[in-house]
Amino acid sequence: MSKKKAEGTNLLYQLMSEARSYDDVIVMGRGDPDFDTPPHIVAAAKEAMINHHADYSPPEGLPALREAIADRVKRVNNIDVDPATEVVVTNGGQEALFLMVLALLSPGDELIVPEPNYNTYADSLAFAGGVKVEVETYPEDDFRADPADVRAAISDKSRGLLLVSPNNPAASVISPPDMREMLDIAISNDLMIIADDIYDLFVYDDFEHLSPASLPGGLERTLTLNAFSKAYSMTGWRLGWIVGPADLMARVRELKAAISGGTSIISQHAGIAALTGPQDAVEMMADAYRRRRRLVLDGLDAMGIKYGLPQGGQFVFADIGFTGMDSGEVAQRILSDQHVLAYPGSAFSKDRKNYLRMTFLQPEDQLTEGLERMKVAMHNIMADRIS
Amino acid sequence: MASENKSEILAQHEANSALNAATVAPVARHDKDLSADGIASPLDERIIAASSEALEAGHTHYVDVPGIAPLRAAIAEFLNNSSGASCEPGNIIVTAGVQESRFLTMQKIGENFESIAVPAVAHPGAQKALGVRARNVIPLPVDAERGYLPSIESISDVVAGGCRLLYLESPSRLSGAAYKTDEVAAIGQALRDAGASAIWDQGLAPWVDGDCPSLAALEDAPALFTTIGEAFPGMGLTSWHIGYIAAPEDQIPSMQSQKQIMAICTSTAAQYAALEASNLFAEARASKLAQLSQLRNRLVEMAADRSLDVISGDAKNIIALRAPAAGAANLRGAGFDFADGASFGAPAVIRLKVNAATADALHALS
Repeated sequence: MSKKKAEGTNLLYQLMSEARSYDDVIVMGRGDPDFDTPPHIVAAAKEAMINHHADYSPPEGLPALREAIADRVKRVNNIDVDPATEVVVTNGGQEALFLMVLALLSPGDELIVPEPNYNTYADSLAFAGGVKVEVETYPEDDFRADPADVRAAISDKSRGLLLVSPNNPAASVISPPDMREMLDIAISNDLMIIADDIYDLFVYDDFEHLSPASLPGGLERTLTLNAFSKAYSMTGWRLGWIVGPADLMARVRELKAAISGGTSIISQHAGIAALTGPQDAVEMMADAYRRRRRLVLDGLDAMGIKYGLPQGGQFVFADIGFTGMDSGEVAQRILSDQHVLAYPGSAFSKDRKNYLRMTFLQPEDQLTEGLERMKVAMHNIMADRIS
Repeated sequence: MASENKSEILAQHEANSALNAATVAPVARHDKDLSADGIASPLDERIIAASSEALEAGHTHYVDVPGIAPLRAAIAEFLNNSSGASCEPGNIIVTAGVQESRFLTMQKIGENFESIAVPAVAHPGAQKALGVRARNVIPLPVDAERGYLPSIESISDVVAGGCRLLYLESPSRLSGAAYKTDEVAAIGQALRDAGASAIWDQGLAPWVDGDCPSLAALEDAPALFTTIGEAFPGMGLTSWHIGYIAAPEDQIPSMQSQKQIMAICTSTAAQYAALEASNLFAEARASKLAQLSQLRNRLVEMAADRSLDVISGDAKNIIALRAPAAGAANLRGAGFDFADGASFGAPAVIRLKVNAATADALHALS
């Protein structure tokens, strides 16, 4: 292990590595649902191993899967795309994200990014030589990205706008009026949009998800990603997609061919089964996340920990500023003392050192136990601070 | 309203000839598609069982970025046994196919060097990988009479000129020609003397009858050289996209970090399948290689009878020929697809996969 203080993604991996060394660890950090992939999807994969193991797939993916994706984004997101030219299958949402950044950003180009944000965007931007221009959001506004702040961040180097809704890690959802205004800003300032819809099926209470590509004038300037990982509990299959206008998608296809060549044929057949098969498992998981979200929020309330209300997603961004400690240290302490893994906010944004991202991707009894242990850890931390 | 930003993005991409290099299909798209260098093979029932049992047991979640530990160990053992390498599992990253291996190595190891020398004739995937983010690429002259491999002299010259990172293929992805033991030793010496590193694509090595020496076998290879290739080829896993990187220990963290950024990990179904394939590979490879050798020898004789100009090659899964445009047109006219040498940097050369249909292709070509 490096002696240098770990940051960003490396910090998360350092914590995960330590977490694996504890038999009784409760993982409330990583965005990996505890549910296994639904059996009918696994069965489809097995069938593909028997009958389609050597099939050819172009870099952009099997036509049948692209058609299923086009149907899905029409049904769920109201995005109209041609499966032949406007869909590219990827090795998960992560590759999709990387490809979108590479497709739109050149060295020196600025991407306007509401903060906090998923750490891989910064890593991908760094690879592309792009510049992240941060727009702050605040817990008292439930981490709402204010269109006025976005407008104020625009410069002559602005190339694009990142819209992640529901947001990771802050779990805010961009409201339809705000999304329309964001698109207006993009159109009037000629910005491209990177839309991350990966949590679009996980929106709570009366909040509403809206894809910018579904709005008039949106599709032609928007690349939209999604993946099977969260909705179908398929993180290990590495399967996602990008949809967008044909001209930009032709470039995405070349980048996909350059980076990984293609996507596993077995995962693709599993993806077809996921999208075209029964959806009751998705609904069951969404229900479970609703209950767990309430449980976690109640637990945080009991500890007196503040948070921005998670309007969507599978996590809560909790303010542990009262400890007076950096979130990396707090996460480390909770892990070492009580074997509970939560992610430090500093891994997502250098300005979020007083936050923890806690997922609700464990069974309720585990979450209850995790919250109890966290309470003990927090008590110990505060006792140490006082003494 | 037309977008100037978008027009600029598209113009930049269209001007990027490296990124727009041809894509070579890894497997056949139809019965007369001879363009791929992957081996078509049935999938052993034991591989199906191992992969599906892993999925049914709940191995459907993220796994370690560099790959599941037993597969990393199996790949290290495979490389040590087959190429004389001395890898530890910690030297291995499991990738989503050989193209991801090219991308990760060329881009991430390349960050440590001002330039990278690439053979003027190489798999177009190498160009594409380098086209993603601009790198200073130095073309490495090749010897057409030596199966389009760069000569030892040209390698020595490029390192003498200051280039400290080379991408090399042995066997050549176009001709199948492989460096001999003394040549590999000389390349290793030239690189070592200059303190240069190499990325060595040895993906076709399993299809060489007899020794296919690797830079990885040289005494100080673990510190200097990185090898890449397909994991357990010929086992029916080509379309599953699974490959490897075997790299010096100090190169692993940056590539592992980049792998996390762009993929998190490799498909678990593919990893558990490859793990089982590792147990079956040695026997299956011997049988497959014997069949390919016999078939290719007959094709070479047939080509000679028809005065076709076969390029000397060692890998038995492909056969490359110098072919005038008319010959290539005949081939296309007969419904065959082939790998066009122009995509690799060698116009008027075609590469055919060796299988039951290749004889008909040679008929059409002549």
